[in-house]
Amino acid sequence: MRRLATCVAAALMAVTATAARAQSAPDQDLDRIPPAPAPGEPAPDLGPASNPARNIYLEDAVTDGGARGGLPVPPPSGPGSSWQALLFLDARATTPLTPQLNFILGARANLRLQEDIAFPDHENVRLDVREAYLSWQLQDGIFVDAGRINLKSGVALGYNPTDFFKTRAVVQVLSSDPSVLREDRLGAAMIRTQAVLANIAVTLAYAPRLYDPTPIYSDVELPSLNPMLDRTNAAERFLVKASVKVADDFSPEVLAYSEGGRVRFGLNLTESVGRSIVLYGEWAGGREPDVISAALAYGRLTGTIPLAAPQVLSDDGGDRFRNDLSLGASYTTASKIVFNLEYHLHEAGFSPNDWRRWFATGEAGRGNPGVAAQLWYIRSYAADQQEPLSRQTAFLRVDRQDAFVRNLELSGFVSADLQDGSGAAQVEADDYLSDRITLGALIFTTFGDRRSDFGSTPAATSMLVKVARYF
Amino acid sequence: MKPIVFAALLITGTLGLAPLARAETAAEIVAAADKVRNPSRPFRSTDTLTEYVSGQPKNQNVVVVLAKEDPVTHQFRNLIRFAQPARDAGKMVLLDNRAFWFYDPASQASVRISPQQRLTGQASVADVLNINLALDFTAATIGQETIQDADHKERVCDHLDLKASNPLASYSHIEYWVERGTHYPIKGKFYSDSGRLLKILYFRGFHEVLGQIRPAEAVLIDAVSSTLVTTVAYGDMTFQDIPDAWFQRDYLPRLQAK
Repeated sequence: MRRLATCVAAALMAVTATAARAQSAPDQDLDRIPPAPAPGEPAPDLGPASNPARNIYLEDAVTDGGARGGLPVPPPSGPGSSWQALLFLDARATTPLTPQLNFILGARANLRLQEDIAFPDHENVRLDVREAYLSWQLQDGIFVDAGRINLKSGVALGYNPTDFFKTRAVVQVLSSDPSVLREDRLGAAMIRTQAVLANIAVTLAYAPRLYDPTPIYSDVELPSLNPMLDRTNAAERFLVKASVKVADDFSPEVLAYSEGGRVRFGLNLTESVGRSIVLYGEWAGGREPDVISAALAYGRLTGTIPLAAPQVLSDDGGDRFRNDLSLGASYTTASKIVFNLEYHLHEAGFSPNDWRRWFATGEAGRGNPGVAAQLWYIRSYAADQQEPLSRQTAFLRVDRQDAFVRNLELSGFVSADLQDGSGAAQVEADDYLSDRITLGALIFTTFGDRRSDFGSTPAATSMLVKVARYF
Repeated sequence: MKPIVFAALLITGTLGLAPLARAETAAEIVAAADKVRNPSRPFRSTDTLTEYVSGQPKNQNVVVVLAKEDPVTHQFRNLIRFAQPARDAGKMVLLDNRAFWFYDPASQASVRISPQQRLTGQASVADVLNINLALDFTAATIGQETIQDADHKERVCDHLDLKASNPLASYSHIEYWVERGTHYPIKGKFYSDSGRLLKILYFRGFHEVLGQIRPAEAVLIDAVSSTLVTTVAYGDMTFQDIPDAWFQRDYLPRLQAK
């Protein structure tokens, strides 16, 4: 027992000695720690609290652009306005009416001046009601919504094949950034039911046909107060989508969509790979015509293209199963720069041969305004539908907060036509001057040969400067 | 028992070394520290993130955090909703087991993000989440150290080495100091995959909340820039029943009014 006692005492001395050796030197980082608030004292208050159920801001944006000359097929409408000044008040709010009933409103009131709009004119004042609907919670996780609803789908950034309600919904383009385009678009009048349970979510939506299809709107012919339901409710539409959690980090979403008798299916997948990478894929497929056929049929239906006018560009012969695909990955660097790289496939879009025929037809038809009008109508139709015009594109987006100086966020994207190498690029800088005021600027440019997708557009460069005040 | 043996055992017991038959494992220490940080019942807190530059408060974000332990995985699921600044009000981050989602009410789009994505200042998304480290990391004891806490008070700690045991853990490697006896988390050092020190974390302001002594604030010190420090003050902690459905990404647009 004496030996045991000796061992214990020796061990104790050894532990004590080790502990003494492990006494770490004072850490210099401790000197950087700000003083702790006194007990009961709140953290430093740098501003008034906001209501997360309400977001209101006022923005003033001025755009100036330069047109590209020497186009082989110039647009019949000319290059468009070179400058625009826009002042708008944007509001999003969720207002509880009863514990189970909420009213959701999203709207933007615009005051605009631009080169090709007279002043004063009703075009100077516009109101876009993006959303206005009642949401009734039957029980926790079960909802019925009715009214104008912005129903969005998709996991990609640059192109969302499963975002079926995007068509004709974008009214006023301030930035070509796809994420900004999603912000200011019109919802459709619909009834939606949604069940969100622990491991499954199911959404059913029905948007009735309330109007006949109307011609594509021109930027200088937008109504001041008309809610433009003809853009969103000119066909009967159904959507069913469901996401199921099949693993901890894997919840695929499947979709089925019907519009005017055509059915499309969709799938959204995401998966994390390590701490920095997220892979995602979005697919939609169904029987549909190519963009040439769809555009010219819509032009004839709405009276924009005379029924008797010959079709200047042949299509590929009607409906067949076509795929839309967006495959991408995001990567966050250690310095918190986020890269998103995507590949986009739109099988109904132009092939390289379609582009060659488009330019050849346009050049052969010089002097015949009907030819250029039809050719450019196809491009307008694709833009109105929020679909890429070419079959294959690549998209790269980069975002960095606190870029070079504090509170400066830099973001930019390049969208490139993989068939001809042309593309569009944009760089945006937002300086968060304070919690309430943001100063921003962006430069947009298109590049490529005059006989290419982006190089044949009249818009060469544009620059926007904006200031926003949040309330 | 001879008096000298009894005395030796008494002394070692007083120093916390008594259970010689079965010492606490590193994993048990980390799990105990997790319990100090995270209540076992679903709860809500309002966290104020203040970014200091050269000692002066410059930016502030306020987020509401809803956290609930998954009964199957025992890992926490988290919902973070931005309340301040105004330009970010209503934005949300969801951690549903291993999947992070970011929801922007402006675009009404949910985008999957990585845990390394930045929240504000030196705080990444992972830093405001309530996570049970014991589930994501394999812990080993480096030794026992007496270190100074954020208030320059000396604390006798277990110095632990945590290696990520799943590839989606927020960090690949953490050095962690947990006070002996109390299991208060005192300090952490967070490393990148390449072994670079990213940030140093201190907990401070231990006080009783939700039935236990817990830290009131985390201090994140940038290991690269010598001027940057971010504090995360945990406020208004309350138990709250949180339906499982709230942790579905499809529920995010519905949480604006909650």
